[in-house]
Amino acid sequence: MIAAFLIFYITITLFAMIFLGIYGVATRSNLIKKIIMLNVMGDAINMLFILIGYRLVYPVFPPIYEKHITFEEFLRRAVDPVPQALVLTAVVIGMAMNILLTTYAIQFYRLHGTVDARDMAEIMGGERE
Amino acid sequence: MKKDVFVALSFLIAFLFVSYAVTVRDVLGIAENPLRPLGEFYLSHAFAHEGLTSHSPEVVTAIVWNYRGFDTLFETFVFFLAIMGALSVLRLTREQGMEVRALEAREPHRHMDTITRTTTKLVVVMIVSISASIALHGHLTPGGGFQAGSAMAVATLLLFAAFSKFTLERQGLTLRHTISAYALGLAIILATVVAPVLLYGGKVLEIDLLPGETGLFNLDVGEYTAVTFGFLTVFLALGVPEWIFKLVLRREMK
Repeated sequence: MIAAFLIFYITITLFAMIFLGIYGVATRSNLIKKIIMLNVMGDAINMLFILIGYRLVYPVFPPIYEKHITFEEFLRRAVDPVPQALVLTAVVIGMAMNILLTTYAIQFYRLHGTVDARDMAEIMGGERE
Repeated sequence: MKKDVFVALSFLIAFLFVSYAVTVRDVLGIAENPLRPLGEFYLSHAFAHEGLTSHSPEVVTAIVWNYRGFDTLFETFVFFLAIMGALSVLRLTREQGMEVRALEAREPHRHMDTITRTTTKLVVVMIVSISASIALHGHLTPGGGFQAGSAMAVATLLLFAAFSKFTLERQGLTLRHTISAYALGLAIILATVVAPVLLYGGKVLEIDLLPGETGLFNLDVGEYTAVTFGFLTVFLALGVPEWIFKLVLRREMK
């Protein structure tokens, strides 16, 4: 019961983190801060996926076959492998996306000396909010 | 100050209340958290089922490279596009590259003190061995090419911080070499993907036809090389000192 309580507490916290990330991306004008909040959101979502696949049994096994465990026991205790497989690739793609965004921000700073979205709009010929 | 404490406390109490309602009272009916049918299917059919096997006792690797092989293949292409996008923004012409190298050669030789460097050496050796074991045992123990590649990228970043990029380049780790190694990793993946068609007349990515665990092993090693050197390539391109890059780029703009 305590474990279930804690897990749901973490879930609610992760949802709060996701909304915090959306808030940060929407309201901050500094590109680096936007990227950081995007990371906060992405990590919370990944963690949420892992949590969905978790089983509330003791002891819980990783989804790997072993010789000394019977098959029924394995099915009763192993965690769900599907969310793990999803998160595995999502993490690396998140890192690649980070690299791309950071590179663009750095390059823009080198060329124009600012990472502020409002200044960027002005430089690119738009109107300042 | 008092207001902040009040807000934080009310949030805490709200969280506790919602958590209590959902778990102990089971308002949403999800406290049991049973295994979903899809997860059960993969768990029971992945390793040995009516003579068919994915050659991987680790079910996550079986899903990633066997059941959902195309997903992972295209993830590799997404990663490739991200790296190429970053590199094309950071590109320099041949003359600019030579100018940057001439300016870099005149930079003073800076690195951190002995304690940091020795510790970094030890830690990097450990990270490299751990990531190699993650990659090469990817189909038997938790892990695989992606995770091992990310771990190796961290090791290279540590080296950058403690020794500076110039030391690595003087040891022969230039942009040209890392791009070649990245291409090698992608070539290993593509060769393994196409091998069943050419050798056994099967379909693309039908790695069950290859003998034993060869397919999974090759894909993991290829992914390990690709991710490691893909990240390293961008780090090297980003590691050019700020003022040199500005000098060269601003001149181009005028």
